[in-house]
Amino acid sequence: MAVLEDVTSPPATGLRPRGVSRRERWQRRLPLLPALIYTIVVTQVPFLVTLWYSFQSYFWNEPGSAHWAGVSNYKEVFTDPNFRSALVRSVTMTAIAVIVAMFLGVLLAILLDRKFYGRGVVRTLIITPFLVMPAAAALIWSGPMLDPSFGLLNWLLQPFGVHHVAWLTTHAYGSVIVVMIWQWTPFMTLIVLAGLQGQAQDILEAAKVDGASAWATFRELTLPHLRPYIELGILLGSIYLVTAFDQVRLMTNGGPGTSTTTLPFYLYQKVNFAFDIGGAAAAGVVTVILTIIVASFALRMFARVFQFEDA
Amino acid sequence: MTAITAADAPARTPRQSRRARELSGQVGWTVLGWVVGIAFFIPVLWMVITAFKPESAAETWPPQFTFSPTLSEFRLVWGGMGPFIEHSAIATAGSTVLVLVLALPAAYALSIRPVGKWRDSLFFFISTKMLPVVAAIGPLYVIALKSHLLDSIWLLIILYAAMNLPLAIWMIRSFMLEVPGEMLEAARLDGAGRIREIVEVIMPVVTPGLVSTALICVIFAWNELFLALNLTVTNAATMPMFLISSVPQEGLYIAHLSAAATVASVPVIIVGWIAQRSLVRGLSMGAIK
Amino acid sequence: MAAVEYQQASRVYAKGAQPAVDALDLTINDGEFVVLVGPSGSGKTTALRMLAGLEPLDGGQIVLAGRDISDVQPKDRDIAMVFQNYALYPNKTVAENMGFALKMQHVAKPERDRRVREAARILDLDERLLGRKPKQLSGGQRQRVAMGRAIVREPKVFLMDEPLSNLDAKLRVQTRTQIAELQRRLGVTTVYVTHDQVEAMTMGHRVAVLSGGKLQQFASPRELYDNPVNQFVAGFIGSPAMNLQTASLTDGGARLAGTVVPLKPEVRTAVARDKLTELVLGIRPEHLHLTDADPAGRQQPGTAATAVLAGEVLLVEELGADALLHVRLADEGGTVVARAEGRRSPAPGTRVSFRVQPADVFAFHPASGARLAG
Repeated sequence: MAVLEDVTSPPATGLRPRGVSRRERWQRRLPLLPALIYTIVVTQVPFLVTLWYSFQSYFWNEPGSAHWAGVSNYKEVFTDPNFRSALVRSVTMTAIAVIVAMFLGVLLAILLDRKFYGRGVVRTLIITPFLVMPAAAALIWSGPMLDPSFGLLNWLLQPFGVHHVAWLTTHAYGSVIVVMIWQWTPFMTLIVLAGLQGQAQDILEAAKVDGASAWATFRELTLPHLRPYIELGILLGSIYLVTAFDQVRLMTNGGPGTSTTTLPFYLYQKVNFAFDIGGAAAAGVVTVILTIIVASFALRMFARVFQFEDA
Repeated sequence: MTAITAADAPARTPRQSRRARELSGQVGWTVLGWVVGIAFFIPVLWMVITAFKPESAAETWPPQFTFSPTLSEFRLVWGGMGPFIEHSAIATAGSTVLVLVLALPAAYALSIRPVGKWRDSLFFFISTKMLPVVAAIGPLYVIALKSHLLDSIWLLIILYAAMNLPLAIWMIRSFMLEVPGEMLEAARLDGAGRIREIVEVIMPVVTPGLVSTALICVIFAWNELFLALNLTVTNAATMPMFLISSVPQEGLYIAHLSAAATVASVPVIIVGWIAQRSLVRGLSMGAIK
Repeated sequence: MAAVEYQQASRVYAKGAQPAVDALDLTINDGEFVVLVGPSGSGKTTALRMLAGLEPLDGGQIVLAGRDISDVQPKDRDIAMVFQNYALYPNKTVAENMGFALKMQHVAKPERDRRVREAARILDLDERLLGRKPKQLSGGQRQRVAMGRAIVREPKVFLMDEPLSNLDAKLRVQTRTQIAELQRRLGVTTVYVTHDQVEAMTMGHRVAVLSGGKLQQFASPRELYDNPVNQFVAGFIGSPAMNLQTASLTDGGARLAGTVVPLKPEVRTAVARDKLTELVLGIRPEHLHLTDADPAGRQQPGTAATAVLAGEVLLVEELGADALLHVRLADEGGTVVARAEGRRSPAPGTRVSFRVQPADVFAFHPASGARLAG
């Protein structure tokens, strides 16, 4: 029968679910409190202090020199070209790294989704870059891999006409991004792979029977199915990568010049070399505000993630 | 209709060609898979190989693949890393234990007997992960200084625990959600109180998940550099700091750096290989099983 | 002309293992509705998937409309399939789902829309549903979309893999008749898989009973019911199931419930030929007639050919118009189910007697299960 099954609203009888008793409610809150209080104290207090110090002029190499400075730190931050370029650099490096890592991740996930001999071992090999201590990864790449005179990469690229390139000098920006991509592609791969393996087999068979080629099936069915996973991967990857510090510190130290100075590195320099707590605090606050804006998109994404669970 | 009898030979060939196609496809994917896997693994492999080289063999052109391996660089690393690895171990183990102690009850309160506003609580926990700790590093330094926690292993334990707590709560919660509702109801009907419910129903199901969560926390705590760099000097310096100190001001010490990098990262690599499956779960905050 | 022929078709999953489908020979006529029925593991779904091209053949071939399609890709076989869990594309609307195959064939949009609307009309699917996604539909609606997806293609053969198993009982009965009527109207050759013998009996022109990968019998429902070729088919077809009891042989017949059941001449010939000492008797519940005759044998003249079985009623299942009596036969003859009239059935604990005509008694070989008949 051609009936649209409408949802009828429940009759208004004045009945309400009784809910949980007060005692029970407090009993349930109790186990949550230690973690909650701990997190609030350890994460929110520093930010409040940061806010406080952002209005202070304080250089920690002169103890006791803290005094009220109004919004002068903020003025400095907004007029400091280094801050702006560090911000832009962080955003672009993160964006490039995340997008390339996700693209590679999708390809690798498709590869790992097929059955072939030694698939488990290959998967283990592919995950390894993610497990390597980022500081160690930075050292491996800056030394044994990218050294202009003795590095492996130059040797591998010789047949392609590459001769003793000083990667960390002439292509510092790219080199840092390459290491980020190397370390984060496994992450993207695993997330997309989880999505691929969650696809119902019979839908793919139906597509086969309906005459779809492998590419058409991928384009029309698999990619839309993977969309939430890809979005999640990009989002989480961005959150982790925008605060990446180790590679910059150990490969290029922000250089040459400031060509690879990202926001975390900028803040690090402000604290350790300019001894400027006030300035770093103000820069930190601005960073946090920007992050909150992005994070609100992230939280909406996570709301959709709940559909994974409830569905 | 005309029946094609089994005696018709041509019916065989398409099947043989199908089999051949399947086999060559299989071979193709296998080759591609291994090439990609090895390509990703080469830097790590090269690191380990170079660690066994004497410095003279590490700085050659073209790079040497055959050489007589030596432990000399490892011995140097071994000699210097003592306090660093000790601090790393304490900070990692300490923070992981603290995380589990805090996360277990919290996860329970967000899954099995949930608090009224559990969604908000969960959102709050993830949001702390999204706020960059780098932004507060200056004031954090000052706080540490003033509370005499600067260069103290306790500071690292506290901060690493805060760093891993949201992750742990999400992961453990997702494991707890897998406890079959019927099992809990049966236990309740049998008169089990809260404690018995936890010990006899929940823990057996959740324990493997706890192990994987702990392993993930270990990985992140061990690898952490930024906080250690800014908030410790010598008394609490961890392995990542050791790596930084291994980089000389002048000169190249490729083999030495490789040895240091190998020693620093191999433990966690092995832990990660073992905890492979939980990596996805942890990395996606438990959203993807 | 869309006749389907399985010729010695086989599928085995591992070398040396029991074949999932063992040398299946089946000829399906153009426009016929054939049901493959059997318990789980019987190979019926595998056989269907072999026809679809989703399972490869490890032996024999499959011929469709005169063409050997054994190694042809599913999309080139011109068949459409309705999956057990419907397999609707979750991110596409109902209309897109139904039009997907046509899109793959590069059919122009207006033509696609026309055919989709036509199929929706045939299936009584409200046009307003065309823009919705599968997750917004009920189970019954999804089932119809799955069927619509198949109809739109106007294929040579419809394949259906247990399409009713996810519906509730009432909807199942409704949809059953709709499918049968649809097939009659469209006249497309249909191969339908189910484990439910009621569906098989009510829907198929002919029914193929499978067990353990082997074809047991392929015949019309009536033929299967009245002339099962072996014990498996006899016990599988018909609800409630045929009563099957092992009985030892004596002069003149088989011993059951303390009495001797006379056997048909053909059966006696087969018994003698195979030198059997016992066999399996099969009697349908409706062939056990409640009687007042004294089992001790006061046989009236002219009725020497009937047997009277005595027993005690264990349980009565009231069905309304009928009742099913579960009776324990005397002399350790086992338990049988008999059909009786609903309003006058004896109470549990009563001693009863049943009259049976030898013509209604089936005999099966105790080892092979084959029907004994000359």
